[in-house]
Amino acid sequence: MPEFTLRAFADQLVNGLVIGNIYALIAIGLALIFGVANLINFAHGSVYMIGAYVGWVCVTGLGWSLGPTFIVVAVVCGVLGVLIERFGLRRLQSEARIAPLLATIGISFALDQLVQLIFSPNPQSFPSPLPATRVMLGGVSIGALDALIAAITITIAAALFAFLRFTRLGWALRATAQDREAAQQMGVDVNAINALAFAVASVLGGIGGVMIGMYFTSVYPTMSYGAMVKGFAANLLGGLGSVPGAVIGGLLLGLIETFGVALFGSTYRNLFTFVILIGVLVLRPTGLFGAQRAMPPEPLTGTFVANSKPVRIPWFVAIGGLVAAALLPFISSNPYLLQIFTNAWLFAMLALSITLVTGTAGQMSLGQAGFLAIGGYASALLAMRLGWPLELSLLAGAAIAAALGTLLMWPVFRLRNQYVALATLGIGEVINQIILNWEGLTNGVLGLSNIPPLSLFGLPIVETAPIYWFALAMLVVAALFQWRLTQSHLGRTWRAMREDEVAARAFGVSLHRYKALAFIAGGLIAGLSGAFTAHMYSYINNETFAATTSILGLTMVILGGMGNMSGAVVGAIALTALPELFRPLADARYLLYGVVLLLLVRFRPQGLLGTV
Amino acid sequence: MNDLLALPTMPTAQATPQASSSALLRLEGIQTFYGALQVHFGLNLHVCRGEIVCLLGGNASGKSTTMKVILGLVKPRAGRVLFDGQPITGLPTPQIIRRGIGSVPESRRIFPEMTVRENLLMGAYTRADREEVRRDYEQMLERFPRLRQRLNQRAGVLSGGEQQMLAMARALMGRPKLICMDEPTMGLSPLFVDRVLDLIQHINQQGVTVFMVEQNANLALQIADRGYVLQNGHIVLEGAARDLLGSPEVRDAYLGGDAR
Repeated sequence: MPEFTLRAFADQLVNGLVIGNIYALIAIGLALIFGVANLINFAHGSVYMIGAYVGWVCVTGLGWSLGPTFIVVAVVCGVLGVLIERFGLRRLQSEARIAPLLATIGISFALDQLVQLIFSPNPQSFPSPLPATRVMLGGVSIGALDALIAAITITIAAALFAFLRFTRLGWALRATAQDREAAQQMGVDVNAINALAFAVASVLGGIGGVMIGMYFTSVYPTMSYGAMVKGFAANLLGGLGSVPGAVIGGLLLGLIETFGVALFGSTYRNLFTFVILIGVLVLRPTGLFGAQRAMPPEPLTGTFVANSKPVRIPWFVAIGGLVAAALLPFISSNPYLLQIFTNAWLFAMLALSITLVTGTAGQMSLGQAGFLAIGGYASALLAMRLGWPLELSLLAGAAIAAALGTLLMWPVFRLRNQYVALATLGIGEVINQIILNWEGLTNGVLGLSNIPPLSLFGLPIVETAPIYWFALAMLVVAALFQWRLTQSHLGRTWRAMREDEVAARAFGVSLHRYKALAFIAGGLIAGLSGAFTAHMYSYINNETFAATTSILGLTMVILGGMGNMSGAVVGAIALTALPELFRPLADARYLLYGVVLLLLVRFRPQGLLGTV
Repeated sequence: MNDLLALPTMPTAQATPQASSSALLRLEGIQTFYGALQVHFGLNLHVCRGEIVCLLGGNASGKSTTMKVILGLVKPRAGRVLFDGQPITGLPTPQIIRRGIGSVPESRRIFPEMTVRENLLMGAYTRADREEVRRDYEQMLERFPRLRQRLNQRAGVLSGGEQQMLAMARALMGRPKLICMDEPTMGLSPLFVDRVLDLIQHINQQGVTVFMVEQNANLALQIADRGYVLQNGHIVLEGAARDLLGSPEVRDAYLGGDAR
């Protein structure tokens, strides 16, 4: 049936182009912001999601037609963009680029949670108010919404092109993107231009959100994250910061994804995005069409470790704290409290791993939860399928996480700064997508259930107190291991690499090897934590160790102080235990995390205990 | 303290008290810091209307920072900058530019991805008089025929000398009263160096006051009216250009490296 396949092909082509149009719209916004502010804006997806919700309220709630809806969406999102720039980011302009990037993560956490609190986390149905009739055009079926999306996107792209090419303000925007200081010396108010870029980008994002909401007939709070990542994949594909590149990248990504889904099934949709993201970062960081553009200059330090004098914890306080932690089950037999602190110890291990990789070795990792996932799945599968004893499967899980995770992180080693953050996020997500799609091994979305419980020397550990002690003991061992490493020659080399990659290389340090060692050591600790979690819960799926977990761990590290091991533990306790203890906060915990992150980056980048 | 260090001052015609009233640009007691590191130790200098004044000094003497202080890119911790009799210390850069200061930044800093034409018009960003801007634009192309040939090319593909022309033309498009040039001859071939110097004189004859920072003292002093020598954040020498040109103190204070 050749005619049928041709029809199917043509339909997929239209689908791909329509989706691609929307990706292009998101990517243009990210490109504008990256160009002008040299910033990967993680809050862009949230603006897009809020645009979708505003559109949904106008159309479904108020029964408005699309014209006024788009105007309201544009105004709300434009204002939101300006507010984000003015109050969230402007003061961070002169900091290392990773600081505003973290601030945008905080903002996106807060915005996503706010929408969840107002509209519930459930998807809301958003039927398109347009007629459902489809027109046949040369054998291709095109719906009214398809046509509208194409028309709006093309109009916007053309208007933006004209604005950038032919207006004074457009020139000022491009001049600012190319050379901020020189633009100032031409009399350009670069702060106003920054705000303008955020406003325009946010308007485009919001309109994209409405259109995708109608296209998939639903809106939901977590749509923000996927859109952000897709926008960036599209952007990278076309050349980071290039507006025409963003359009082409968006269309390409839409087509690749649509045809990929048609060929392999819908669970693969996101895998393509992330593989493209990483592929481009590794093979061609300037994008397909960005050959003549040099990579934007990045400061040499891998991360922003603010200068500070770390608070020295006297040995007797540390021992005292440890004794108190060990005695907790005797003080309170409340199983709920013990569970919370067990969680805190497991998170502390994740935080230790992040503080090692990010704080000590300077590799901003947003994908550390991938190590948890590998550790968890490896240990669970070894125990379930091969019947390994728990002690062995835990250790093997940790080792596999360290080895496999580091191997997957390898492409990151040649990147720097913001790109490291983006790539580690993508790799964390690839791990997640592999788990989701390798059904034969991981059972896909259903996850693994009936994982053998924790045990030691054949004795099952199922009571809360022994589990608590087990977790605490692991944390202590992990901390001692890490302490030993950071005090050694290895630790000094890591810090040298963090301070100045070029100088470290000049002194003969093989950067790749030391970055790998940091990820291996951190991966062991995180992998152990993930393995323990799997057996403790007896059930895991691909969402147990989601990307937000990585960012939560990073927030703990920043709260405690980058590279500061006691800080990591304190941060973990604060962010796991406190929202639980103050129950009203528990529902809004991501709002809390977001605000904490935002405030820390702005007011106390050295964290509570100071950086090391 | 500063007076002591500035002792070997040349007796000159221009450096007289009357200059204080007609000075277009004036720096008084500027102290600048980068963190704990002090760059300027009470810097005093002035530029009179119609003059070409050059600030000389070796590496790390604080020359470029002086330029940044004038343009508002670096805020001094003490002292003030007066332009046209008005204090401009601490104003944001764009507002300083709007008062009538044009800038030719160090290493030119043209906008590489924009066309030559767009670069020129960016120079007139602060102006609202469109007709006049058009006239100036035409005039600029008369003066720089090379730029006319390349109007629609990306500025990034121009040669270093052409980029320097563009940077100067761009600054002039703002119709500045004072033009500040940071190392205008740096990295140029000898042929272009002469052209640039001619141009600076030409611009000056049209009534634009010029303040330039230069490392190449001999060249700069040939066209300048007056000069200052900056060393480790102190003005160690000032005077008429022709006096400085032959003075052994300039050699000692600044050209020491060359004389070796």
